[in-house]
Amino acid sequence: MTEEPKSTGKQTQRLLLIGFGGLLLLLAFSGFNALSVLGHIQTSNEQIREDYFNRDRILEALRSELYLSGTYVRDLLLEPDPARADSHRAELDSARVRLGILMNSYQTVLQANEQIPFERFRKEVTAYFDSLKPALEWTPSQRKELGYSFMQTSLLPRRATVVLLADQIARLNQDQMNSGNRQVQALFARFRTNLVLLLCVSLIVGVLLAYGSIRRILRLERLSALRFDEVVHARSALQDLSARLVEVQETERRALSRELHDEVGQGLSALLLAIGNAAAMISPNDNPEARVQLLDTRRLAEKTVAVVRDMCLLLRPSMLDDLGLVPALEWQAREVSRTEPIRVTVQAESALEELSDDYKTCIYRIVQEALRNATRHAKAKLVQVALTQDDKALRLTIKDDGKGFTPEREKGIGLLGMEERVKRLDGTFEVQSAPGTGTTINVVLPLAG
Amino acid sequence: MFAIRIVLADDHTILRKGLRLLLERETDFKVVAEASHGKEAVDAVEREVPDVVIMDIAMPMMNGIEATKRVNETHPKTAVIILSVHSDEAYVLRALKAGARGYLLKDSAESDLIQAVRAVVAGKAYFSPAVSKILADDYVRQVREQGVEDPYDLLTARERELLQLIAELKATKEIAELLGLSPHTVDTHRGNLMQKLNIHSIPEVILYAVRRGVIS
Repeated sequence: MTEEPKSTGKQTQRLLLIGFGGLLLLLAFSGFNALSVLGHIQTSNEQIREDYFNRDRILEALRSELYLSGTYVRDLLLEPDPARADSHRAELDSARVRLGILMNSYQTVLQANEQIPFERFRKEVTAYFDSLKPALEWTPSQRKELGYSFMQTSLLPRRATVVLLADQIARLNQDQMNSGNRQVQALFARFRTNLVLLLCVSLIVGVLLAYGSIRRILRLERLSALRFDEVVHARSALQDLSARLVEVQETERRALSRELHDEVGQGLSALLLAIGNAAAMISPNDNPEARVQLLDTRRLAEKTVAVVRDMCLLLRPSMLDDLGLVPALEWQAREVSRTEPIRVTVQAESALEELSDDYKTCIYRIVQEALRNATRHAKAKLVQVALTQDDKALRLTIKDDGKGFTPEREKGIGLLGMEERVKRLDGTFEVQSAPGTGTTINVVLPLAG
Repeated sequence: MFAIRIVLADDHTILRKGLRLLLERETDFKVVAEASHGKEAVDAVEREVPDVVIMDIAMPMMNGIEATKRVNETHPKTAVIILSVHSDEAYVLRALKAGARGYLLKDSAESDLIQAVRAVVAGKAYFSPAVSKILADDYVRQVREQGVEDPYDLLTARERELLQLIAELKATKEIAELLGLSPHTVDTHRGNLMQKLNIHSIPEVILYAVRRGVIS
């Protein structure tokens, strides 16, 4: 019983930790994943574009060098001046060198599918320049004679083939970029699917967790309500029990007191009379020893009578039954004043007689206990007891000028007993006291009807 | 032959037997009836009209105080002596208010009862010496504690005389004759007396007299 809530608490803690921790981890993972995938996509995108433009630029340069080389060859073939022809030849050479460098640099960024077309392109370029070689050695008259037809039949077609190849590579390059874009799109689509999946999982886990938590909280709440009911029940049972205790004690005391008074007390009184009678029958001269013996016996019996009477009064003052509440209180006040160095005053209306026994006993016992406290603990000099009654309630105030105390801290068993008696009759009980200020007890007992 | 006729009311048979034995040692006493509760006592008085009833307080059915009241109402000439274990003034006053003329403690009955019966038959009040002593002690202590003036000091000589006579249960006419006054004057004096003592009934006057030791 005591073990269960503790383990339930631990279990709850573990479950919540796992559940919410898992959910948070899942969300964190999704977020991190999304960021990294997006970053990756962006980088790929940029890379693809950069590669494309890079290659495109080289291809463009290749194409323009090819055209330039063609122009140089034409210029050479049409040049009558040998000196100027040399310079054209040098320009052509340098264009060839630049083409070589450009092709080498393209080789480094070459894509797999461009391999074969690029090889062909390279070969064609080499073939193109090889085909030019004989024409470069021609004399000016040869050039004038053969130049035009060479340009028309050999140079221009070859150059066109090479440029065509370059265009083909450029198209491949374009395709490459398109396929790169498609790849990125596919990546993006996959990423979206993953994200949706993760969010779905998170949502499901979250819903399950919320459902579980709510169920568990409700269960715990129900459990605690149950416990609360149990506590309330136990408390009321305890109150009933203590009320019963007071009742039983009172009944027992009364029975014991009556028994003592009726049987023992009356028996002793009769004994006293019998002794007296017997003593009277013996004349002093007749048997003085027996007479002395009888008188001793009588003294003993008298003492015993006094003891029994005191015991009876302590257990249950017969005044309460014989004379009523107010005379009983007044008697008690006189008794305490007689035996203790204290003055007790009682102020009460005498119209209080028609009270039920419960009320009489309650008030009487409270006053009895309060007087005991005032004499024993508070060392009071004066105690004022006031009792009033109206249609609705019976009000008792007991005020002393003793040492006082702190009621919140030092509520003894005596005060608790008083409170218990008052509660039993649905009354209110209040103690006002502080060290050095005396003590005031206020009791209000509502009267039924 | 003027026998004093007595009714004994007590719920304890052994005690009644002892009391009867005690009373009947006196040759002119005669216990005419015994009762074990108040109701029976009232019936016995009705039947026997005795001179004296000796009445316990704590009895079943009807207690001694109530029975005394009834007897006093129907047969004022029958004197009631309360026999009690209590020496407290609350009991004494209650007994006096009910109309009892004597108040005896049970544990001193053996020595006082005969005297008490003779006193009440003679028309006087009677209290056990033990009771008188306790009442007087309480009175002295209360006066001292409360630091008030003893109202007895305020009384004139005439009022003190009157106090004693009232406490001895003398009727107004009797008092008037004894003091050589008119009944009307006696009434006036009694009014003043009660006002000075701040009491309002004859039983309280009697109780005061006992407490003050004016009578015993």
